[in-house]
Amino acid sequence: MTKVKPSGSGMAPRVVVQSRRSNLGGWIGLPAGVLLLVVVGTLLSDKFLSISNLTNVLISMSIVGLIVVGMTFVFISRGLADLSVPATVGIGGILVLGLQPSLGSLIAGIVGVLAASVAGLVNGVLIGWFKVNPVIATLAVGSIVLGAAQAFVGGVIVYGTDSETQDLINSRILGGIPVIVIIFLTVALLGHILLSRTAIGRYTYAVGSNPSASEASAAPVKFTRAFAFLLTGALGGFAGVILGLSLQTARPIMGIGYEFDAITAVVVGGVSLLGGVGSIPRAMGGLLFVQLLTNIMVLQGVPSPVQGIAKGAMIAGAVALDVYLRRRGGAQ
Amino acid sequence: MNTAALKDIAFALVRYRVLLILAVTFSVASIWVPKFLSTGTLSLSLDRAATMGLLAVGLTVVLLAGQLDLSGGAILAISGITAIGLQDTMGQIPAAFVGVLVGVTAGALNAFLVVLLRINSLVATLASMLFIRGLAHFITESRPVSGIDPFFGLAVSRPIEGTITGRSLLFLVTIFALHIWFTRTVSGRNMFAVGSNIVSATASGVKSRTYLAGSFIFSGAMAGIAGVISSLSVNTGSPVFGESIVLTAIAAVVIGGTRLEGGRASALGTLGGVLTLGALTTAMEFQNIPAYIQQIVAGLILLLLILLDQVVSSRNGRDVTLRALIGRLKTPPQPHQKTERKHKSNEK
Repeated sequence: MTKVKPSGSGMAPRVVVQSRRSNLGGWIGLPAGVLLLVVVGTLLSDKFLSISNLTNVLISMSIVGLIVVGMTFVFISRGLADLSVPATVGIGGILVLGLQPSLGSLIAGIVGVLAASVAGLVNGVLIGWFKVNPVIATLAVGSIVLGAAQAFVGGVIVYGTDSETQDLINSRILGGIPVIVIIFLTVALLGHILLSRTAIGRYTYAVGSNPSASEASAAPVKFTRAFAFLLTGALGGFAGVILGLSLQTARPIMGIGYEFDAITAVVVGGVSLLGGVGSIPRAMGGLLFVQLLTNIMVLQGVPSPVQGIAKGAMIAGAVALDVYLRRRGGAQ
Repeated sequence: MNTAALKDIAFALVRYRVLLILAVTFSVASIWVPKFLSTGTLSLSLDRAATMGLLAVGLTVVLLAGQLDLSGGAILAISGITAIGLQDTMGQIPAAFVGVLVGVTAGALNAFLVVLLRINSLVATLASMLFIRGLAHFITESRPVSGIDPFFGLAVSRPIEGTITGRSLLFLVTIFALHIWFTRTVSGRNMFAVGSNIVSATASGVKSRTYLAGSFIFSGAMAGIAGVISSLSVNTGSPVFGESIVLTAIAAVVIGGTRLEGGRASALGTLGGVLTLGALTTAMEFQNIPAYIQQIVAGLILLLLILLDQVVSSRNGRDVTLRALIGRLKTPPQPHQKTERKHKSNEK
């Protein structure tokens, strides 16, 4: 596994070459879109371009941002999508609060992340080694894990008692940066390094752009596929732990909707479902775009149903554009 | 027990897994639930699953085409709202038809996104799901709407002659119609060809993209019918109806032996999958087993079946396609199995 080091240093060209045009479009399009949103937001509302509002945007994207990091790996390795995210978030949140009285927040949090990682590992083994369709595998595993999480607490809401940890996570350090945002940015940075600077990151691109060629080149195809789902499971659990600790409340259904939010962000960021293309910064750009748009709509008093409509239209538009920019020989 | 015999058993298990799992579920249910096998209880458990079953009928075709449709739950909600909300302006029966028409339109939207814009069906139907769900919340202002006459909907939810409810009957009729379409018509067979290999189907003169679009429109229409019927039965249309029903319906279809990769499907298998999940729910509710345990059991069954399928079929790559095209039409494709056995005995 360590035999193949990423060749060259710094900004070596990606494995996928045929999509350079779309890369260019993506690199220019997304920052331009974000910039446009900032301008529009500033013009529409004088509250928009304030430190406190932008901090709120950052906080609201932190939890889902953790999941976006994992989902990017899944997308790039052509693993379709991980639909077990609600379950891993749920089990993370429930375990950390449920075990808190006996183990303390830190150990309970680690147990929560480990349990979610096991779910991710099962996903990975099913998808990598048994070649089960990712949609159905993560659906089945998600159903089991979410059921198990509910069985663990008897289907009720768990309340936490550790207000010290809650205060720590909700506090702001270094001149007003929320701790939760620092956690998110650290994970995003680590994810970016993992994807762009390590062998496993290289394999993720290779497996996503051409699985057969990767197999023939002795790249660990099965392991790489599995790794993406393991990572998403662990990060989903971590997001659940952080969410549980910051609210000191955990419901089994607390993670529902995060899978679609994460997919939306990744897709709007221009990471292709066909695999092989994308990066963490682009996914984060997509997340930022969605969050800014939502924030502007909230500030304008747009009813939340219209936000749903806009989100749906946005996904369709983003992917249609992506497909238009690079028709891969009629590939579906 | 030699390997050949084991292989035969494995084959039999995989081929008749729906029957097997259904038999197991029914035996367990009849032990747990007093009088489970009485007409009343069976009719009830079929009725419980009928709405999900109608969705599953549409999904069987979409999955056969190798696509996915996540928007069924949202279509179900908006069709129900239409059918209930328009009652006082245009009458009950026309409103119901408009509700189904809304489902067809939503299916056409999916077809437009997937076939014309070439968006991956997972993402496309996710987008249309969010869009339609948002629309449903928007037109109702997130409040449930009530119909004008609570007795009108009784026609679909009341047992006819004390045996089977209207919607169960509708579900059974559509399943058998689907079975006949799959097994007895040219267009049904073309659908299998499109699902197995869209490129070679097109090369053979099948209008693949039309079939693909048709599968989404059909799925939308079935979701529309399911929505109208479920809303009429409770005389309410709500934007939150059907939030998790699609995933259950997909599970039922997959339990029935349809593969997400496309090219293999069975209408009777879907019937088996729906009945299994319906019987399971009824039996567990009788035993006061909480919903989350039901989730675990349903997930485990799903997992077990896809694993079994994967393990056996991956060793016989050729057999899968054979079964997909011929096996479902005439019940036992013995010849292939026999050659398998001969190979084994020759080796010995």
